[in-house]
Amino acid sequence: MKQKKTTALFLALPWIVTLLLFWLYPIIYSFVVGFTNKRLLSKTYEWVGFDNYKTLLTDEAFLVALKNTAIFVIGTIPFTTIIALLLALLVNKQFKGRGLFRAGFFLPSITSMVVIALIFTNLFQRGGYIALLAEMLGFTVPQHGFLLDSSTALFSIMAMDVWMAVGYYMLIFLAGLKAIPQELYESAKIEGAGVVRQFFSITLPMLKPVALFILVINSIKSFQVFVEIFVMTQGKFETSTMVYFIYEAGLTTKFNFGYASAAAYILFVIVALFSFVQFKLLKQRGEAW
Amino acid sequence: MKKIVLTVTLIVLQSQLLSAKTTISWWQFWTDPTIKPVIEEIVSDFENANPDIEVELTDLTWANGHEKIVIAFASGNGPDVVELGSDWIAEFAVNGHLAEYKSDDAIKSDIQGWEMSTFQDKVYAKPWFLGTRVLFANRDLLNRAGYDSTFAPVTFDQFREAVYKVDSLSKKIYGFGSNAPEKHRLYKKYLPFFWSFGAQIFSDDNRLCLLASDYAVNALNYYKELHDSCGFVAKQRGIEDAFLQGKVGFVISGDWLLKRIDNEKLDFKLVSTLIPGKKYPGRSFMGGEFLAINNSSDKKEAAQKFVEFLTSPANQVKFCKANRSANPSSNKATEDEYFTSNRHLQTFIKQLRLANYPPVDPNWVIYEEIIEKAVEDALFGDGQPATALFEARKKIEALR
Repeated sequence: MKQKKTTALFLALPWIVTLLLFWLYPIIYSFVVGFTNKRLLSKTYEWVGFDNYKTLLTDEAFLVALKNTAIFVIGTIPFTTIIALLLALLVNKQFKGRGLFRAGFFLPSITSMVVIALIFTNLFQRGGYIALLAEMLGFTVPQHGFLLDSSTALFSIMAMDVWMAVGYYMLIFLAGLKAIPQELYESAKIEGAGVVRQFFSITLPMLKPVALFILVINSIKSFQVFVEIFVMTQGKFETSTMVYFIYEAGLTTKFNFGYASAAAYILFVIVALFSFVQFKLLKQRGEAW
Repeated sequence: MKKIVLTVTLIVLQSQLLSAKTTISWWQFWTDPTIKPVIEEIVSDFENANPDIEVELTDLTWANGHEKIVIAFASGNGPDVVELGSDWIAEFAVNGHLAEYKSDDAIKSDIQGWEMSTFQDKVYAKPWFLGTRVLFANRDLLNRAGYDSTFAPVTFDQFREAVYKVDSLSKKIYGFGSNAPEKHRLYKKYLPFFWSFGAQIFSDDNRLCLLASDYAVNALNYYKELHDSCGFVAKQRGIEDAFLQGKVGFVISGDWLLKRIDNEKLDFKLVSTLIPGKKYPGRSFMGGEFLAINNSSDKKEAAQKFVEFLTSPANQVKFCKANRSANPSSNKATEDEYFTSNRHLQTFIKQLRLANYPPVDPNWVIYEEIIEKAVEDALFGDGQPATALFEARKKIEALR
């Protein structure tokens, strides 16, 4: 028995070492650094207690990033989830060319985010196709395009993000739909339930675990939005988000590791709380369903 | 027998010791396929001339090279020799990461740009290549706007008039290429106007920030007028694309535009001229590529030998020819026919003598961000130039 345990430990050793070195150590290290004034190039640093956290809560740039992240999360998750569900219901039906639609919707999810962001940067600029389409439809396009105006830049990135993400979540919803036993729908039909009733009484409750999974991973992903911002606006025009702020504070001009680590832990607490609330709410809703 | 074995062993050990090479590491940014082979050739020439020294070359990219260098120095793994942008020298020097660079007087007098690597009276890097920006114009558009084939604007009034005239040629033609917010670029476009209007960032005794002076506000008002009325607004690459497609009358750009015209074999009637001024001539922005030695390197002597070799006039000419660079740091190099026979390169060489560089300050990168934000607010936000510059001045003063 003892030998078995030793063998198991030995086999798991590479994983354990990786976990300790590349996950646990940086997590603990950054937590500790968050209480110091460590700057990357400086050879000395001091313990500053909660100063970084206190400064962050009055730092205008951080508060703007926090607000933008909240707008991003609240503004994209419902759209992404609802559109993904509708698309999944659509491509779950039998019709000619269904495979093509499935592949088409999923394609953006497997395309590089940088490539998509660069393409959309061109589409959103003055004279780009989206700007031209908006003009044709009678909308006012900002003087220098959607991404160079504070009132439209963040929303433009959010719209692109929804477009890009729905295909992936559609696929997960589709897998959930496939797992629902057909007998339930047949029984419901015999009982006289219509399509709408079937959707609310069978489909939606049965998709609850999938929806919870999607909400949680989509929230975490949205809280961590970075690449789009980095490529499209570099945080300008009121588009800076939490992760972009952390990147700017820790890895660009100031190389202020202590400050950036403190901001990262605030983000961690927010994401953890948000996920916890989502779990709780959906659990209650599931019981009601 | 024992004696023979011992003798052979000693001979082998001695030959090993004698052939032991000093390896120095060099981190550099030139990765373009047109220039990388020249870099390798120069390194190889150095190794042939110095058989006891070997150079280990590492490429960096402009996208994240600065971060990589910072992380390497912070972790004590910095290279022996590193290429640094002029704005970065003070931030590394103040933290003790760079060795003081000492040259003899003959070398010192041949090289331009030492002032950009001098921090607290000590020199921390040797200038390799310098860079400035000049005004480029499309001759065809100027002709269509009614100017003769010798015209180039020299004062701000002439420049504004020419920009407006070109802009009014057609709805699809713009007078001036105006930069969209882009890190490290936008402020470099404003500062030539700022300096040419007579403004300065800090007072001569370095005690006061003068960013919101009348001169500075007038410069930003002038720049904003060009931007709002006649500006083709895009990132640097987009502006240059539009200029080369004949859609933009004037752009401010560096020598890389000449390289692009050559590489893409564009047939283009190009005018290159000095930055206009309130009174001619104006001032442009100056920066450069510098070579610094790691303070914790134990091969400083070999490293300096290598830096001297790289920056020799002959090697600077070789590099400039391959890269179409206009501004070697060596005065001797600028006397080469390659430079003297090309009028566009001559514009750059003249402009360099009429160019300012940002203050050598470890916090410059932070000030730069603040200035860039002010310009961005004035051009793209609700901010008025005076308010934006006043706010920027307050922020900079709070940091000093």
